[in-house]
Amino acid sequence: MEKDRPMRHIPWTAAVLLLFSGLCYPQETSSTDPETIRQLVQQVKDLQERVKLLESQQNQPRQNGSQQNHTDTSTLNPSNPPTPPVEVADQTAPTPGILQEIHETRGIQWRGFGEVDYKVLNQRAPELGTYGFTPGSQGNFYSGDFGLFLTSRLTNKASVLSEIVFEEGDAQTFKVDLRRMLLKYDYNDHLKMSFGRYQTNIGYYNWAFRSAAWLQTTADRPLIMEFATNGGLLPTQAIGVSVTGAIPSGKLGLNYVAEYGSSDTKRPDLNGDGQVTDENNGNQTNVGLFARPDWLQGLQIGTSYYHDQISDNPLSAATGAPVPPPPGSPGPAARFDQTIVNAYAVYVAHGVEFLNEGFLIRHALIGGSLHFDTPAFYSQISKQFGHIRPFFRYQYVNASSNNSLYDDVGLRYGPSFGARYDFNDYIAFKAQLDHTVRRGEPDLNGLHLQLAFTF
Amino acid sequence: MPFLICLASLVCVRVTAAQAGDVAVVVNDHNPVAKLSRAELRKIFAGQERSWSAGLPIRVFVRAPGTHERLALLKLLGMTEGEYKQYWTLQVFRGEAQAEPSTLPSNGMQREALATYPGAVALVNLEDVKAGMKVLKVEGRMPGEAGYSLN
Repeated sequence: MEKDRPMRHIPWTAAVLLLFSGLCYPQETSSTDPETIRQLVQQVKDLQERVKLLESQQNQPRQNGSQQNHTDTSTLNPSNPPTPPVEVADQTAPTPGILQEIHETRGIQWRGFGEVDYKVLNQRAPELGTYGFTPGSQGNFYSGDFGLFLTSRLTNKASVLSEIVFEEGDAQTFKVDLRRMLLKYDYNDHLKMSFGRYQTNIGYYNWAFRSAAWLQTTADRPLIMEFATNGGLLPTQAIGVSVTGAIPSGKLGLNYVAEYGSSDTKRPDLNGDGQVTDENNGNQTNVGLFARPDWLQGLQIGTSYYHDQISDNPLSAATGAPVPPPPGSPGPAARFDQTIVNAYAVYVAHGVEFLNEGFLIRHALIGGSLHFDTPAFYSQISKQFGHIRPFFRYQYVNASSNNSLYDDVGLRYGPSFGARYDFNDYIAFKAQLDHTVRRGEPDLNGLHLQLAFTF
Repeated sequence: MPFLICLASLVCVRVTAAQAGDVAVVVNDHNPVAKLSRAELRKIFAGQERSWSAGLPIRVFVRAPGTHERLALLKLLGMTEGEYKQYWTLQVFRGEAQAEPSTLPSNGMQREALATYPGAVALVNLEDVKAGMKVLKVEGRMPGEAGYSLN
């Protein structure tokens, strides 16, 4: 009988082994994945911390309980003065464990964005250099924008947001730009207000990408959406009030935006003539509508209408002294009505990014019949394949040679293509080739390499 | 012996089925909302809708990467894990959101969060739904019913 016993154990041992192997089977596929192992280890650590927290919380009621008992005893003895009752914790208040886990703090939250660039252009006549790029060089490194993004939650509905950018200028000098500074108050989904310096909601790009290179697929912004202080055509920033919210519209998903503020801008000429145009913008009004229909996730269609009044007041970029206006200009005293109409359709979902925006900028001399229309558009498409995202962009701007406000711009169009490679969630490398056709000037070819990061 | 092999196989199948099961949309017990469309759910978890119909602020809680609930969330939003992270960085940077939704490491903490915050919403595996969690219908269907789309 004793000899038979080990033999009888074999089927049970085999069964137990089978059961264990069966239980382990679903995990086997991922056990070789280091990311999964890392996540599991992290979860174990989280659980261990959670157990510690629970143990410490468990000890607290005991102490409170003993204190309560002491209080009860003391009240029985009339010779002892009554002690204040122990405060009963608010049952609806979040526990310290949850608070710690969701980091619900009222402090300042920081985020940083940076970039290191290398660009080379085959420009025979140097154009405007921006972000530290030296025009006319064989190619050089520069650091573009280094941005610190700060937010702070004041109440459930109020918060502060600011974006401080250190922008490289000529010869490794840096200037500080408070690119955004907003006190935000979200009353509900239908009424969200912002007060301070904001990026105008003209179109999609300015709203979607703000200023950090890391957030953009391409190495640079489309010319039409470039910041006005870097030669862009649109008043990209203003100080005032911006209101946005959802409009009850069912499956159409309609939203509105309304802005009123001052967008006073000095725009440097793109053609590198060393001049800036002080536009002396009056207060701007911008209203827009956009829809995110339920029937196609990722689709956003929108339009906006912008209006202000500007001057054509050329100054020397170096000294700030007035320079003679170009021939045909009505002079710095004249005012123009500036209206900008925009329409866009974008699709961003399932790894696809397809951006299409069109603009019509009209400058009409106040008290005269002179007016100029400047059409512009860009189209950009990209698709994520693992870590790599190839992209293609085509852009077009056509400003009249007689428009003294945009005489440095002229006609410019051409493609850009390249790829973005994401090393991880924080660092990306981009390589971009540009070809720009210019009216009356040789074509411009460029290579732009960029290391963009966030922290 | 064949019986034991069958038993072991059944255990394997059960574990696999549990991993691929329906995911319930759960809210605080006192939340008057009873149903959502898939599009509404997507907007809530994408931070595009931030208050319930009664005006109560929505507090979104999500599980950590690698969990079944997280995979269901990414499927709902049509994003990869990397795109999800980038999306929320953009949302915060745009000023559209104050922070990325809170990631909780356990269903126990999700349950605690649901009890704590009246406007809380989370995704929980159907088999992990506990008392105190109110399960919402999605497109008119409860999890476990045929045609339920969140899994």
